Amino acid sequence: MKRFITTIIVISIAGLVLVACIKRDVPEKVSVKFKTPDLEEIIYPADEKNVTIDGVDYLQSQAPCGKFGGELVISTIGEGPKTFNPCNTKDATSSTMAGMMYDGLVTTNPRTGRVMPLLAKSVEISGNDYIVNLRQGVKWTDGTLITADDVMYTYKEIVFKGYGNPSAMDAMKVDGQLPDLVKLDNYTVKFTTSKPFAPFLRQLSYPIVPKHYFKPYSDKGESVFNAFLTPDTNPKEIVSGGAFKLKEYVAAQRVVFERNPDYYKINLKNEKLPYLNKLVYLIVGDSNNEILKFEAKEIDALALRGSNVARYKLKEAASDYIIYNLGPDTGTLFLVINLNSRRDKNCKPYVEPKKQCWFLNRDFRAAIDWAIDRESMVRNIASGVAEPLFTAESLNSIYLNKYIKGHPCDLDVAQKSLEKAGFVLKNGILYDSCGNRVEFDLYTNAGNLEREALGVMVKQDLENLGMKVNFKPVEFNSLVNKLTNTHDWDMAIMGLTGSPLEPHDGKNVWTSSGSLHMFNQRPAGYAIDDRFDWEKELDKIFSEGALKLTYEERKPLYDRYQTIIYNQKPIIYLYSPIRITAVRKKVKNVFPTSLSGLLYNLDEIYIQ
Amino acid sequence: MSNIIEKIFEDKFAKIAFLTLLFLYTVILFANFIAPYSNTYSNRDMSYAPPSKIYTIDESGRLSWPYTYNYIREYEPSLMQTVYKQDRSKKYYIKLLTNGHLLSVENGGRLYLLGTDINGRDVFSRLLYGGRISMTVGFLALLIVFPIGLLYGGISGYFGGIVDTLMMRFAEAVMAIPSFYLLIILAAILPGGMTSVQRFALIVVILALIGWAGFARVVRGMVLSIKNEEFVLAEKTIGASDLRIILKHILPQTTSYVIIAMTLSVPSYILAESGLSFLGLGIQQPDASWGNMLKEAQEFTNILYRPWLLTPGLLIFTAVLSFNLLGDSIRDILDPKSQKRT
Repeated sequence: MKRFITTIIVISIAGLVLVACIKRDVPEKVSVKFKTPDLEEIIYPADEKNVTIDGVDYLQSQAPCGKFGGELVISTIGEGPKTFNPCNTKDATSSTMAGMMYDGLVTTNPRTGRVMPLLAKSVEISGNDYIVNLRQGVKWTDGTLITADDVMYTYKEIVFKGYGNPSAMDAMKVDGQLPDLVKLDNYTVKFTTSKPFAPFLRQLSYPIVPKHYFKPYSDKGESVFNAFLTPDTNPKEIVSGGAFKLKEYVAAQRVVFERNPDYYKINLKNEKLPYLNKLVYLIVGDSNNEILKFEAKEIDALALRGSNVARYKLKEAASDYIIYNLGPDTGTLFLVINLNSRRDKNCKPYVEPKKQCWFLNRDFRAAIDWAIDRESMVRNIASGVAEPLFTAESLNSIYLNKYIKGHPCDLDVAQKSLEKAGFVLKNGILYDSCGNRVEFDLYTNAGNLEREALGVMVKQDLENLGMKVNFKPVEFNSLVNKLTNTHDWDMAIMGLTGSPLEPHDGKNVWTSSGSLHMFNQRPAGYAIDDRFDWEKELDKIFSEGALKLTYEERKPLYDRYQTIIYNQKPIIYLYSPIRITAVRKKVKNVFPTSLSGLLYNLDEIYIQ
Repeated sequence: MSNIIEKIFEDKFAKIAFLTLLFLYTVILFANFIAPYSNTYSNRDMSYAPPSKIYTIDESGRLSWPYTYNYIREYEPSLMQTVYKQDRSKKYYIKLLTNGHLLSVENGGRLYLLGTDINGRDVFSRLLYGGRISMTVGFLALLIVFPIGLLYGGISGYFGGIVDTLMMRFAEAVMAIPSFYLLIILAAILPGGMTSVQRFALIVVILALIGWAGFARVVRGMVLSIKNEEFVLAEKTIGASDLRIILKHILPQTTSYVIIAMTLSVPSYILAESGLSFLGLGIQQPDASWGNMLKEAQEFTNILYRPWLLTPGLLIFTAVLSFNLLGDSIRDILDPKSQKRT
């Protein structure tokens, strides 16, 4: 009996193997029908208007009127907010959450990127004076009026003292000097800067907080203030003024906001916004988790990356969501080269002298730029959902230099450039003019699939030129330490996000004393002037650009800075992902823009 | 020793496990010969290409020498989707034993038995090269754990008393070191100039250096009972030195336990490798190991649309299961006290 069963098993296995081996050649039917749903044309509403009803200055939304009630569930990746104190936010999640609850004087127009008034009714600019007129009759959630005293308090006792996140104070400084601030009357204040300073107006988007609620804590000193409004504060106690107020926070699970019934924004029928009764942020661990939640219909919107896009596009026609292509993101991925020629305390050079000769040679850097195959990176690593990048400003920046067109990958040009720089190719191995083999290290942070795959490709591209590249993914903190402290690296693949509106935000990267001037990082308080000529020019552009007030005056300066980076190539840009988002059809009044994303107008959005 | 192998073949499960391991080790030993592509091969126009289909019956229904078609990649911009289609204009026949490779295909053809990864590298070939690291790393650790553990446990158990107490308390202290945190710290402070294989070897050595304590404790327990046997007393009376008694007469008595412990601890190092590489602490790109290959399958869409990326996981599973089955039956064979599995 046993023998019989064994025989049967052996025969059936052999049969299966045989069937697997003998395969008939039948043409595959690839019947993917490319049917994309018809795109609804997005008609952007006009900008909001100021309307005064019964002595209250409302802001009237021009978006179509909707239905009140319902809830919107969205997600935030990470650990959730660390504080609800809008003055003390140091991470993106916390500032999004606090931004729901507290408005600034001005905000960014989501379509044009210009500054427009929010809590302020208007801002009059004359010379260095900024006169801010507040809305009358607007209230905090406890019924107290929002007045000039709250503005005075927010700036004088929090921002100018450097309480909370001190970067707000640094951003307000013009030539190291804080602006003057005086109260003209109960609803008017005046800022005066020491010099004309273009980015200043945008700094007025700092959230205004209620004086009567915050003052008892700020009076007790900075440490008490910074510990104020931690996530475990009782939501009923919090006095806020934004479109939504906090209802509940469950650590590591969700943040629930409810509608502020007394908000100053109204719709075309003069009904008070927002429409949504409840706004829920689910806290999810990572993007895979977020996708699963979207599939399970637990969340209503999802940011799509890489290969996920194709999956959702294919299912879009038969689904309950719409996919929006918001164009290139503000995020950039780049290869940075260490141009540091300084020595450490023991007089040991940070970068080996022979490598310094290579890296400081512009033609060497140009050869690397020409050898990099951005097209394949976009196709393979980003699954086509990205655009090759050549400029220091991201592709959706309003200051993008459109004359920099970039170039395809061309090994011949790269090789000529290397020959010009005195490098010799022998038997497929590249030597410098002193006969040293060209070999260096390439770092990136380990554990990131995208960057590791990028590193593998860059290594192959450069090895086509005969260089030897030791690709070393290292742990993130040790990479940051190398870039900022020890400076003992050759090249690295990194990513940064910039602002599409304000190129001056990039000054910590581009000015020679900046804290993120990675390619030629100087220690703090470095006194010797060893700047390259082009570094001097960058310094000049960034100090001048901030002093010019109009877009037309500033644009040529920032065009020039992008040209310098493109010509000198201390940083070689690779690509910028395209932002694709999916949102359920029941969510209405969605007007996605490339500058502000998908759900910037939560007070206008309603659920059908 | 030949006796053990004979007995392994008597047990059905052990036999299958033994043959599977033998097969895996043979295959990785001859990886250069068996793999169709080299360690550094990559075709960036073939990122995430599906496995090549091999046909043995042609369109007209006649039996044919196995052949395959190439894939062409097309990008559909409206869907942002990459599609692979077969290029049916030319057949490429499979060739055996040419250019020093077991399997290859006619010039111009591409043979991806298990598809390709994100960088367009052949998954099948990388599995073989990656196995070289994943399957041998355990033995490196054994070389450190066992000599230390045996000697330490032997001395501690043989002398007893205060020596034993001190040595065992020290071993307990070593056991209490939290290995995972140690690894994360190590990853941050290890010098950057090392290659990923060197780095990983160092991590394994360090893991082994804190991993011997548990083994030493068991050996000490065995030595405690063996040292009271008459043959040890006899050795002492003829004046043999302590070290000689420990090394020549007591430790050999623990052989059966050592063999079992060795077979059972290899899989834990295979798993450790895959776990560490998955977290980015182990073998790094572009070197291959089963752990870092499996990392690619972490992405949601890859599990759905590119199941071939899961094959390293299957191999880890097979290898670990085989080692455990083998260890289990070796225990049955060597330990006369335990009941033989029926």
